[in-house]
Amino acid sequence: MNQRGGWALIKNTWQSWIQHRGFFFLLAFGWMLPLLVYLFIWSAAAGDGTIAGLTQESLAGYYLILILTNQLTYATTNWTVGDNIRYGQISRWLLQPMSPIYHALSQEIAGKVVFMLFSIPITGLLALIIRPQLNLTWGQALIFLPSIALAWALRFFWGYWLALLAFWVTRADSLLALQDSLIFLLGGHLAPIALLPPGLQTLARLLPFRYMSAFPVEVLTGQLGVQETLIGLSIQLGWTVLAIVLYRWVWTRGIRRYEAVGG
Amino acid sequence: MHHLKLIGAFFKVSSQAELAYRVNFFIRLLHSGLNLLTGVLSLVVIFNQVEVIKGWDMPAALALLGVYLLLGALRGLFIGPSLESVAGMDGEIWTGTYDFTLLRPVDQQFLISFRHWRIFALVDLSMAIGVLVYALVLLGAQLTIGMVLSFLLTLLAGVTLLYAALLAFSALVFWNPGFLFTWVINDLFQLARYPVGLYPGWLRLVLTWIIPVGLMTTIPAQALVGTLSPWMMLLTLAFTLAAFLGATWLFRHGLKKYTSASS
Amino acid sequence: MSFPYKTLRRQDATQPEPIIQVSHLTKVYRVPERAPGLGASIRSLFKPQHSDVPAVTDISFTVEPGEIVGLIGPNGAGKTTTLKMLSGLLYPSSGEAQVAGYTPWKRQPDYLRRISMVMGNRSALNWDIPPLDSFRVLSQIYRVPPDQYRQTLDELIATLDMEALLKKPVRNLSLGERMKCELVAGLLYQPDIMFLDEPTLGLDVAMQRRLRTFLKAYNEQHTVTVILTSHYMADVTALCPRVMLIHHGQLIYDGALHALAARLAPFKLVRLQFSTPVENFDDFVAQWPAVEQLPVENGSRTLRVPRADVPLVTARLLESLPVADLSVEDPPIEAVIDQIYAEGTL
Repeated sequence: MNQRGGWALIKNTWQSWIQHRGFFFLLAFGWMLPLLVYLFIWSAAAGDGTIAGLTQESLAGYYLILILTNQLTYATTNWTVGDNIRYGQISRWLLQPMSPIYHALSQEIAGKVVFMLFSIPITGLLALIIRPQLNLTWGQALIFLPSIALAWALRFFWGYWLALLAFWVTRADSLLALQDSLIFLLGGHLAPIALLPPGLQTLARLLPFRYMSAFPVEVLTGQLGVQETLIGLSIQLGWTVLAIVLYRWVWTRGIRRYEAVGG
Repeated sequence: MHHLKLIGAFFKVSSQAELAYRVNFFIRLLHSGLNLLTGVLSLVVIFNQVEVIKGWDMPAALALLGVYLLLGALRGLFIGPSLESVAGMDGEIWTGTYDFTLLRPVDQQFLISFRHWRIFALVDLSMAIGVLVYALVLLGAQLTIGMVLSFLLTLLAGVTLLYAALLAFSALVFWNPGFLFTWVINDLFQLARYPVGLYPGWLRLVLTWIIPVGLMTTIPAQALVGTLSPWMMLLTLAFTLAAFLGATWLFRHGLKKYTSASS
Repeated sequence: MSFPYKTLRRQDATQPEPIIQVSHLTKVYRVPERAPGLGASIRSLFKPQHSDVPAVTDISFTVEPGEIVGLIGPNGAGKTTTLKMLSGLLYPSSGEAQVAGYTPWKRQPDYLRRISMVMGNRSALNWDIPPLDSFRVLSQIYRVPPDQYRQTLDELIATLDMEALLKKPVRNLSLGERMKCELVAGLLYQPDIMFLDEPTLGLDVAMQRRLRTFLKAYNEQHTVTVILTSHYMADVTALCPRVMLIHHGQLIYDGALHALAARLAPFKLVRLQFSTPVENFDDFVAQWPAVEQLPVENGSRTLRVPRADVPLVTARLLESLPVADLSVEDPPIEAVIDQIYAEGTL
C-alpha cells in the first residue's frame, strides 16, 4: 500500500483537471441530460396518478438522486485503459513501485470531486424547480453508503477487466460502450427497475448492471422492503467479488502476455 | 454550379480519407445498431406501461424517433464533421491551422459547412428511414399528398434548424477558442428524442423558441401523424428562416472578430 | 477599385507599377487581461480589461513584381503579423496596402486566387490521403482549368522529382517530402505572389539547398513575387537580394542584403597571424579605444575595427608587429543580425 504515492497522484490529477474544469463540467452535463429526459418522460407518463406505485414527484426524486449517484459510480478511467495499453504507458507504470491500478484509482477519486463540483449545484437547482418528493430515513441512508461504495467498485472493476481485454483485442472499448448501453437499459436509467416489463425486470435483478447504478438509489428512496434490500445487497456483493476476481485473473494473464510480446 | 462541383470534390476526398482510416466497419455497425436498438427498446418499455402520453402513442413516438435518427444521420453525414473540423476538439481554430482555410477563395461559411463527409452515416440514414417506414406501417396512415409535402418541408426545416444551431454554437469558438461549444448543442439535441409536449411547460417554451431542439423533431413528426396545424407549420418555417439568418450573422461576426476587423 | 496589374504592365512597360504597396501599416492587438482567481474572472465578465499590444507600427514599403524579398527579424518582431495582413488574414489597425491592385483584407476571391501562403510548421494538406488527391481538390477550389492543372502539375512534379511520393498518404512522408508537396499545393494554381513563412524549417541541409534552388529557378521562370521569412540566414543570402528587417514592429532596414552589414555594423574584422609570438598585444591594441579584440581562434587574433579606421590600423599593425598573414573581412551577416537582435538597435 503506497499511501504517499497514492495521495500525490490524486493531488496531481486534481490540479490538472481543475484547470480544465470547463471541459469536465461539459462532460458531466452530457451525462446528466439523458437522465433528465427520462425524468420528464416518466413524470409525464405518470401524470397526476401513479405508475407502478410511483408518483410524478417520487419519480422525479428517483431520477435526481440517480443523476448524482450515476456521476459517482461512473468509472470514467476505464475508457483510457485501452489507450494506455496500446500506446505503451503501461510500460512506464510497470517500472514504478506502484501497481498501475493506483493511477486509475487516483484519477477516479480526483475526477469524482471535479465532476461533483458541477453536478451537485445543478441538481440542487433542478430540485428547486422540479420539486421532487423524497422520503429519506436514517436507516435507508445508512445502508445507502455501503451500497454506493459497492456500486462504484462493481462498475469500476467490471469495466476494468473488460477494458484489459485490450491486451489481446484492439478494440476493447466497444465492450465498454456495450456496458453503458446495458446499464441504460437494465441499470435503472431508461426506467426504474420496477417499471420494466416482467421479463426484463427479472433479468435486471439478476445481472450486475442494476447493482452498478440503480440499486443504491432504490435503497435510498425507499423503494425496497427489508427482504429485497438484503437480497439485493448480497447479489451486489457477489457480483463485486466476481468482478475483482476477474480483474486479477485478466491482469496477471494480460501482463504475462504483454511482457512476452514486448509491450 | 461551381459550388455543386466543389461539394462533389469534397465528398470524394472525404470518402477516400475515411476508407483509408480502416476503422473496423463492424465495430461501427455495432455502435449504430446499438443506438437503434436502445432507441426502439426505450419506446417499447415506456409504452408497455402507458398507452398514450399527452396525446402521443407508440406509433407516433416511433415516427418521431425516426425523425430524430434521420436528423442525427444527416448531422453525422456532413454538418457535424465539417463544423467539428473547425470548432471541435483539435479543430482548426484551436490548433491554429484555420488560416489555411481562411486563405481559400471560397465563401467561408460554405467551405466549413460542406467540407468533410462521413459516408458511414449513410448506414445510419437507412436505419432511420427504416424506422420511419415501420412507424408509418404502424400508423396505418392515410397519407395524403398534403401530409407528405408538409412532412418533407418541416423535415427540411428541422435539418436547417439543426444546422443553424450547430453553426451558431460553432461560431462561439471565435470568441472562446478553448471551449467545446459544439458538444453543448449535441448534448441538448438528445432532448429532441421525445415529443416536446412531454416536457413541463417552462422547458417546452425554452426548447421551442430559444434552443429549438423541440421544433426539429416534433414538428415533422406531427406532420407525418397528421396533428400539425398549418399555423404552427408556418410559424416553424418562419422561425427556421430567422434562425438560419441569425446563425449566419453570428458566424460572419465571429469571423470578423477572428481577423480583428472589429477592434 | 481593382484592375489586373498584368494588363497595366503590358501597356506601360517602362515603369511597372509596384505589385505590393504598403503605407503606414499598423497593427495593435487588443489582448484581454485575465487575472487569476475566481473574483477576477467574475469581475472580468462585467468589466473586461484589455491591454494594447503593438505588433506592427507604421511600416511602409513597395515591392516590384518578380522580386524576392526577405523579411527578417527576431521572434515576435511582427513578421508573421505583416504577412497575415498582406494575405488578408488580418485587418490592420490603421494604414493601407495594395497588393496586385487589391486591398488584401477585403478577401475578394479574385485576390485570394492570386496569392499563396506556405508555412514551414503547418500543413495545408489532408494527412490521410495521397497528396495528389489534395491537389485535385485545391485545383477545383481555385478553379484551375483541367489541362492547365495537368500541365502545371507535371512540370512541378518533374522539377521537384516527386513522382514516387504522389501515391503515398501524407502522414507517411518525410518532412522534406512533405514540404515539396506543400510547395506544389501553393503553386498549382500559379499565384502571382507567394508568402513563404519559414519554408525550410527543420529540413536537412541538402533538402534546404534543393528547395532554394527550386524557388530561385521558379521565380526566374514565372515572375512570381516572393516574400520570405526565415531564421536560416543561408536562405536569405541565397535567395533575397533585398531584405527588410523588422524589430519591435518597426521596419528598421529596407535594402540590399550586403549593404545591411555596412549600414548596421560599420566595422570590419581584421584577422592576424603572427610569425613569432607577440607579447603585450593587448596593450598595443589599447591605443585605439574604438578597436575591440575578439576571442582568439586557432592562434589567430581577430580585431573589430571601425571602417574608417581600417587603413590606419592595418598600416600600424603591419609596421610594428611580425605579421605573417592579415585579412580584412566584412562581419558575417549572422553576427550583425544577432547583435541587432540582442541590442535592439542599429
